[in-house]
Amino acid sequence: MEKFLLISTICIIAFLPLKGQQTVSGKVTEQNENQAVPGVNVLIEGTKLGTVTNADGNYSLEVPVNGTLVFTFVGFRDQRINVGNRTIIDVALEPEIAELNEVVITALSIPRDVKALNYSVSEVSGENFTEARENNLANALTGRVAGVNVTNANGGPASSTRVIIRGNTALQGRNQPLYVVDGVPVLNNDFGQAGMWGGADMGDGMSSINPDDIESISVLKGANAAALYGARAANGVINVITKKGRDRKGIGVEFSSNYVFETVYDQRDYQRQYGQGDYVAADPLDPESPRIAVAPRTQAEAYGWGTNSWGPRLRSVDNAIQFDGVTRPYSDAGDNWNRFFQTGNTLTNTLVFTGGSEKQNFRFSISDLRNNDIIPNTGFNRQNLSFSTNAKFGEKLTLTAKVLYSREEANNRPFVSDSPGNAVLAMHYIPANINVYDYKGDPKKLGAIPPDAPESSLSIWGKSVGEEFQQVRNNWHQNPWWVANQYAIDDIKHRIITSGQLRYDFTDFLYAQGRIGLDWLARRESQLTPQGTGYLLSGSLYDYQKNISEINMDYLIGFIDSFGPISVNAFVGGNWMQRQAEEISIAGEGFNVPFFEALNNTTSRGWGYDQREEGINSLFGQAEIGYNGFLYLTASARNDWFSVLNPDYNSILYPSAGLSFVFSDIINTLPSWLSFGKLRGSWAQVGNVTVQPYQTNLTYELLGYDHDGYPLASFSTAQGTTGLIPNPELQPLLSTEVEFGIDVRFLDNRIGLDVTYYDQKSTDDIMQAQISRTSGFGSTNVNLGEMKNEGFEVLLNGTPFNGPFTWDISLNFARNTNEVVKLTEDVDELVIPQFGQPRNRNVLIKHIVGQPFGAITGRIQRVSADGQPVFFADGRMDATTEFVVIGNGNPDWTGGLNNALSWHNWNLSFLIDFKIGGDIISGTNMRMTAAGLHKQTLIGREGETPLTISGVTQTGTDSEGEPTFAPIEMTLTPAEAQAYWISSQSDNEGIADMYLYDASFAKLRQLTFGYGFPRKLLSKTPFVDLSLSFVGRNLFVLWKNIDNVDPESSYNNFNAQGIDYFSYPSVRSYGFNLKVGF
Amino acid sequence: MNYLHKLIPFLFGLMLMSLGCDTENLHERNVDPQSVSEMDLNYMFSAAELSIACNGGAGNNRYVNWRSNIGMCAGAIQQITTFGSISENGNYYRHQEDVAASFFVYSYNDQLKNLSEVIKQSGEVGYAEGRYKNTREASRILRAFSYFRLTDFYGAIPYFEANKGIEGNFFPTYDNQSIIYPHLLNELDEAVAGLSISNPDDGFKNADMLYQGDISKWKKFGNSLMLRYAMRVSNVEPGMAASYVSKAVASGVFESNDDNLWVPMTLQWLWANYNGLSRAFNPGDGGNECWLSETLVNFLKGSNPSAVADDDPRLMILSGGIARWNSGGWDPIDTDPLSQLGVPPGYYQSEVEAMLNKPGLIAEETFSRINYLMLDNDDPYMIMNHAEVEFLLAEALERGIGSGINGSAQSHYEAGVRSAMQMYMPYDPSLIVSDAAVDAYLATYPYGGGGVTGAESNLEMIGWQMWASKFFNWWEAWCDWRRMDFPPLIAHTSDVSPVTGGSIPVRLPYPSFEVATNSNFNQGDNNNYTSPVWWDGGSE
Repeated sequence: MEKFLLISTICIIAFLPLKGQQTVSGKVTEQNENQAVPGVNVLIEGTKLGTVTNADGNYSLEVPVNGTLVFTFVGFRDQRINVGNRTIIDVALEPEIAELNEVVITALSIPRDVKALNYSVSEVSGENFTEARENNLANALTGRVAGVNVTNANGGPASSTRVIIRGNTALQGRNQPLYVVDGVPVLNNDFGQAGMWGGADMGDGMSSINPDDIESISVLKGANAAALYGARAANGVINVITKKGRDRKGIGVEFSSNYVFETVYDQRDYQRQYGQGDYVAADPLDPESPRIAVAPRTQAEAYGWGTNSWGPRLRSVDNAIQFDGVTRPYSDAGDNWNRFFQTGNTLTNTLVFTGGSEKQNFRFSISDLRNNDIIPNTGFNRQNLSFSTNAKFGEKLTLTAKVLYSREEANNRPFVSDSPGNAVLAMHYIPANINVYDYKGDPKKLGAIPPDAPESSLSIWGKSVGEEFQQVRNNWHQNPWWVANQYAIDDIKHRIITSGQLRYDFTDFLYAQGRIGLDWLARRESQLTPQGTGYLLSGSLYDYQKNISEINMDYLIGFIDSFGPISVNAFVGGNWMQRQAEEISIAGEGFNVPFFEALNNTTSRGWGYDQREEGINSLFGQAEIGYNGFLYLTASARNDWFSVLNPDYNSILYPSAGLSFVFSDIINTLPSWLSFGKLRGSWAQVGNVTVQPYQTNLTYELLGYDHDGYPLASFSTAQGTTGLIPNPELQPLLSTEVEFGIDVRFLDNRIGLDVTYYDQKSTDDIMQAQISRTSGFGSTNVNLGEMKNEGFEVLLNGTPFNGPFTWDISLNFARNTNEVVKLTEDVDELVIPQFGQPRNRNVLIKHIVGQPFGAITGRIQRVSADGQPVFFADGRMDATTEFVVIGNGNPDWTGGLNNALSWHNWNLSFLIDFKIGGDIISGTNMRMTAAGLHKQTLIGREGETPLTISGVTQTGTDSEGEPTFAPIEMTLTPAEAQAYWISSQSDNEGIADMYLYDASFAKLRQLTFGYGFPRKLLSKTPFVDLSLSFVGRNLFVLWKNIDNVDPESSYNNFNAQGIDYFSYPSVRSYGFNLKVGF
Repeated sequence: MNYLHKLIPFLFGLMLMSLGCDTENLHERNVDPQSVSEMDLNYMFSAAELSIACNGGAGNNRYVNWRSNIGMCAGAIQQITTFGSISENGNYYRHQEDVAASFFVYSYNDQLKNLSEVIKQSGEVGYAEGRYKNTREASRILRAFSYFRLTDFYGAIPYFEANKGIEGNFFPTYDNQSIIYPHLLNELDEAVAGLSISNPDDGFKNADMLYQGDISKWKKFGNSLMLRYAMRVSNVEPGMAASYVSKAVASGVFESNDDNLWVPMTLQWLWANYNGLSRAFNPGDGGNECWLSETLVNFLKGSNPSAVADDDPRLMILSGGIARWNSGGWDPIDTDPLSQLGVPPGYYQSEVEAMLNKPGLIAEETFSRINYLMLDNDDPYMIMNHAEVEFLLAEALERGIGSGINGSAQSHYEAGVRSAMQMYMPYDPSLIVSDAAVDAYLATYPYGGGGVTGAESNLEMIGWQMWASKFFNWWEAWCDWRRMDFPPLIAHTSDVSPVTGGSIPVRLPYPSFEVATNSNFNQGDNNNYTSPVWWDGGSE
């Protein structure tokens, strides 16, 4: 009531009979540059009267005597100026620097005062994503936020991203955060990943968002920040706020254009001294005769040894026959990657219109992205359209509505990991004396056997003209030209994210709002394995259509008021979520009319159908109580009910509570250099349900096909060989987190330090436990164990220079330690579900009690009782039978260093990000060792450093069955050395830790260097704003410890991290960004 | 506008009541409209019938045959010899994880899973208790067949606790072969006894793609299996062998090729309905090299390699000739029986070139291939044949095992040879061998006359013929050879890192996934290719 009186009073005062009017005019300039600022709002305080500065920054306005003018412009501090009786008032606007009473958007889109927050929130503003761009928005977060670990699954231009906030909380699932756009959760489905047998990264949800539409992204890292999202918040929340229109005179137009080149970042360093060939008995009739390196002598040998680089020294023979029957010089054929990989490019154009009045405003944008990637015919196109509007009906009712539409088209998504269809793998394997141009085959159908191929060659290849021109006797080893030019693995995704919100202010302290958000997408995918492909000469065509939708409806009733020193900000509400997915697929194999690759032309067809539905109902509430603006207590609670769990176990309450204390506001004895200080602490519980619909009840279903008219049936969730046993008693995971933090700023806020410590514990984790296949099934869902994450995050920023030359520096880093505390009563080790094993088969990724999440296990060299390494009599290393822990893929430290420098109109910024600790097991280096391309395979060859071993060899067993050993010391012959290297990586006797590398690295992730044309120069042009910058991403690896591959190599975004196996090579991009405002 | 303002609080009130409270609807969401909680057991039985051949029920009919039947056994047993592709593992005695693991994984997770469920649900407290009687007994026979194969390849396996994942047994313990064998023989005995035409059909006829519900054929199949597995323990448990051989014979075993067990295949979907064995060799599909081994070709060419008259009539049935075979078609180069040439097992191509004195030979234009007429994608898949039964009876008589076997060892041997030569018509009607041709062969190599090599004992002659009769069923040929040690195969491998030290593998190692996952795994000493299984004289 008091408040009501107060407001009334203000209104009455404002509209008191005006004493008199006078015309005031002036010019608005920028403080530092003395340049005119057009478009500045000039308002008479307490009224709705005002104007906008013109192109020269001038304004003119009738103002009451003794009135106050308010000058507002985005990016600058508001200025209030008492007119007095002046008629000319020039104003110099001060650029806005971080204010202490910043407001950030928290869970459920609730704006809250940073001072009141009892947890750490990091906000990244939209411009960080638009200059140097990433196709997948999530990639752009790399190195930006302490405690946020971003890994791009190396799968091509439209691939997915793995974002881990504060470590992995759940043993399964993707451990991915919840993405929220303007308060409404959106889908971030994974559309398919490569596994140990290969495949392609089919992308995820975050590639749909246009960076130009983003105002800011705030990362709600801990359970405390995200508790209001209940069961969906266990992995944190990425809160995307889109840009809105604002009231301005006329319609603002902005145009930006970004063009970058992309080149392969080749990190290989293979041997180029020895060519194609293999070791054979010097006397073929005597298998005991010494084995020597020879280059292919026949076409069949060349075809058989297509990927073997175990031949003699280059030029030791003049010529050698190759797989196609042509004899060519046996010498270095030059670099093939430059011949095959092309310079890609990405062009992004965006046009934005904004406008509106105080009552209603809008923003409309259209954007077009066209990408051609480094592999011919691979690319990604995206069109975005967005429209948002805000309208006020009277004083009390506000409407907000928004539509984001995107159309994404990915062409020829590259296959990674195992060989079928993997052009990158084929490019790694090429021996030094081979030119990839000789793989081209038919120039009219690249990668195909040319029409003039001799009959004898066709016999050796077992193929016909027009089929794949394979360079090795291995049907699964594709010709890279064939993959690039004949394969088609394309998809088109249409997606609409729309939401509408009504807010009604009953009074100035009581409001209610209702919101509906829909995220709907339709994805059409088509995978063509062309007719004539080595492993599938018949060819196949697989098409599917998938529709997914998620609807969220929520409402809030909120209360904001203060009573003397006490302030209250509280609300209660509810949410109703429903998600549906439906998929229809057709798989056709073989084509009736040859090479006519249409579904209706396939000879054998199978189809599939999948449908899922799930929902969560929720009620929630939160109250923030402040005392004198320096002490805040916040508590919240949310109850979720899940459809995917059985009714007895499906209701969970998630509470949180926290305190924030701005000590600098009340302690008067603080030194003057300390400008701000806040302590915060909180406790929260959130949940996670990593269960698919229908996984709690045992059911049966008919297989998708009959046999000769006989219907066939099996368990619903257990078809095939990796069935899942339903568990009706599953409960949701519970994650409990305690967080403490301090936020201090020094020297008038020039230096800021924010430190957060957290301790998080997950219990009752739902894990799809791998069980013995002899149980009849592959896995079961169990509630198990306990996992801990503990760590701290530091954000240090400062402005060493401020003025014409400004330098902002910001360093963030985080340390997370993770431990699997308990699995089940009887089990201390579990193999990670899904892709816990890479193609090499000599490594398993496991969860082991006492170890961090996802331990890498493998065989190591046996050691005798007295510590001697054990070798076989022929010099090969003898591996243990057991898999032992050799490392893990989680980094210890992650972080980034941002620098932004500006001098007058020039600006330069760069981002260095790093990860320290964590291991990577390199399947690529294993296979390249077996192929004789890895440099270490030079050791032991004729005329190179000899390979000597020293240790013991097993001679037998004693009476007690214990092994007996004899010393062994020998220099291996070249053929023995070859056997040594090949066996060092084989699936049954490989020494896995030989291929385990420290995955630490530092990268120059981003660099921009720009020039903004001064407004003075532009005043004669239609432009209001014009800037041009050079931009680059992923420019250099500054430091790493693994040879030949990128330390971030991974071929999927699942939990089995730390594995490299012929993933897509890293891509550097650099180019220009042009921004024009009208 | 005013009335709108009054309406809005009301609307909010309505939302408050409707959201967050509608739990009934929520639970209904978790009912899968595509599935049922009780299934006609016959449909699961049919899926298992398809899967005992090629695992089509699991949607990958090529995997197991390719990796273990071809990949290991066909090479090890010297019927197929290749320089490359998956089957090189059997030729060079190499280890490949999938080759070792495939049969283990698919048996438990495909046919055994479904058969166990049929037996469980038609048994005590199952939802179909007392119904589907014949389906149940037939399922017990197929389950026993699958377990026999598993233990024959791996030795000790989870048996009593296996396939009980639904009941919460996720990590079954291992049972020794010596315990499993008698239990399985008894299972066969009970199942055969339980099958009856007087049982209600309950859909069995319409679900049985193997024998169309013919109870007498099912009984013969059960008894023939009993005979096979009784003979398999004859070296270590003569008493058990004798008793079950007698039982099988008394109850009735296969009498002619009409009783042979074939799984039909169709050209519907290639991953389920095609013949997976054909697919593995098809140049349009799997494309595994399909050259016949020198051991097999030499046996089929008879005592005199340069004469046609003494050839085995199967020479140009199993061999389609020397031919180019690619997706463009089958293009014979030489179908003269005298020119047929097998690949010497275990050598590298360069060594073979030197041995044949043909440097730079093109293997595709040099060696005999499997007859493409037997490799159509819709050719049926043979599980067991009459010839084997006759050879086992001949052996039992020679060794004096069991009682009640009519006729002489010679008569059974000859009946076996006849059936073996005349059983290929289901692949293609042209693959016919006349009685006269069989008679001529038997006259050229009379029983007791030393066989093709001229120096064979009767048991050795039986061993060679049994071996030849199991072309395509290399799994069983490998088991027979391990038990009988006939034919006397000469082991050779030029590989530098043999996992067997140069001898032919006598068992399969366990999948490393099982070793890593199942805490009850206790077979570390037998996790190799070299320790014989129990019936082969091993420790278990």
